[in-house]
Amino acid sequence: MRRLVATVAILVTTVGLASGCGEDAPVSDAGTIETIDITFEAGSVTPNGERIEVAAGQPVDLVVKADEPGEIHVHSEPEQQFAYAAGTTTIKLVIDQPGVVEVESHDLEQVIVQLEVS
Amino acid sequence: MSGETPFAHGIGGAADLPISPSLAIAGAVAALVVSFTVLAVAWRAPRYDEETSGRLAWAGLDTLVGSTGFRAALRTFGLVVFAYAATVAVFGEDLLTNPFFGIFYVWWWVGLVPLSLFLGPVWKAISPVRTINLVFARLSGSDPEIGVFTYPRWLGHWPAALGLFAFVWMELVYPFMTELGPVRLWAAIYVAVMLVGGALFGNTFYEHADPFEVYSSLVAKLSVWGWRDGHLLVRSPLANLDTVVVRPGLVAVLAVLFGSTAFDSFRDSSDWVQYIQSTETSSYLLNNLMLLAFCVGTGLVFAAGSMLTGVTAETSRWSLPDKFAHSIVPIVVGYIVAHYLTYLVEFGQRTLIQASDPFSNGADILGTGDWSVNYWLSYHPTLLANVKVVAVVVGHVLGVVAAHDRAIKLLPRRHQLTGQLSLLLAMVAFTVGGLYLLFAA
Repeated sequence: MRRLVATVAILVTTVGLASGCGEDAPVSDAGTIETIDITFEAGSVTPNGERIEVAAGQPVDLVVKADEPGEIHVHSEPEQQFAYAAGTTTIKLVIDQPGVVEVESHDLEQVIVQLEVS
Repeated sequence: MSGETPFAHGIGGAADLPISPSLAIAGAVAALVVSFTVLAVAWRAPRYDEETSGRLAWAGLDTLVGSTGFRAALRTFGLVVFAYAATVAVFGEDLLTNPFFGIFYVWWWVGLVPLSLFLGPVWKAISPVRTINLVFARLSGSDPEIGVFTYPRWLGHWPAALGLFAFVWMELVYPFMTELGPVRLWAAIYVAVMLVGGALFGNTFYEHADPFEVYSSLVAKLSVWGWRDGHLLVRSPLANLDTVVVRPGLVAVLAVLFGSTAFDSFRDSSDWVQYIQSTETSSYLLNNLMLLAFCVGTGLVFAAGSMLTGVTAETSRWSLPDKFAHSIVPIVVGYIVAHYLTYLVEFGQRTLIQASDPFSNGADILGTGDWSVNYWLSYHPTLLANVKVVAVVVGHVLGVVAAHDRAIKLLPRRHQLTGQLSLLLAMVAFTVGGLYLLFAA
């Protein structure tokens, strides 16, 4: 049993060290604006649920081109809602809390993008 | 487009970040190495014996826990929370700020796990359906343990597995999971079935068929608290785990718990979201099928893993999955910790804040209304990722050790080591699969 406990302890430490050393650098510069083009057309939207990596605190511009007005929900903490008009609307976002945040159109019941904030 | 049914969006906002690939690989390697180390160095004679394991707990504690006052206090606590939940379910607003959703999905479903892990079989002690059954029995002068019929042995935990599946279906697939009516209906059906079952079969029904009691009592087997001859015991979690009673349907219970948690990770992955949003097939149907496939798949992998061994003449091969099922309890619990930790900590707090305003009219009855949620854990994603992987790997280690001890008890001598290999592979598959989902989703 002792040997087992020792083995486990060593392995758990290994996991800790390996991960500690393997920390990823931030994916993009927190200063630059991440621009995401969103197009609503004839009841459908692009992009379609893709994952986009952004840094915590990095400004995100959602450039919405739409054929009719609607609303975008950002499932951050707290949740945010933005209305857009027909034509082009730029929605400015900053998310400080790390996590995966879904940006959705509730009218279409679709995830537009998943923002991976780290 | 497949937008004919609304989106099954949880009560949560942001989800956890994926763990880094290096961490996932480190965890998987650790799991593999531990598995074969256990096989190579562990004991060759069974160590865990329910009759002798553990030692008596401190006498004062034993007296307290065994006292009528203590039990009554726990029952009262359960009944008060139940009455509160029923009140907000019936008279509260159909808004996400109604604390009923948090009580149902966070406190009840997830909160029971750490409570049982640290304190023992909590739901059995506070279960309002047990309490109501007890009160009815007292009023009619009968014994709550005994019902009109004897609970059929073959039924075992199957009703609990079905109940757990009904819960995860509600939580993960049902499109209206955040509307008050359906959630209230679910809870009402649960209470009704439990009361009728208790009247028909007595308390045995709760022990076998109450999904929450079965779940809580299984997790409690990983606590240090045991019970023998009316006295409180302190036992190692592994010795405690060995005392899980083998009943039909045990594998099904664990398969639903593990499979549904894995599905919850999977359904948020970008690939799956993109797929269901671009196919013509109904996303509701696809999610239903996938949830079922995850649960059934988990059960089949485990059953196959435990059955591919030589057996003695007196052991039926078909009985092996349930006899080894206790060994996946720690794997399930480790994975559930990894999956639900942030959710429990952050939405558990939010529920406490919301609970102060039961009817969404600005009241502050508990004085917690002006608290704010502490998001410390989310702001430390590296620490969080490490905790998750350690939980998964520790669960895996405990599982492998538990299975090893059971194998040397059950399997014929010449199959004791080789007979464990297939089960070991199944466990490695669960652990690596779980880590992969934490990394990819």
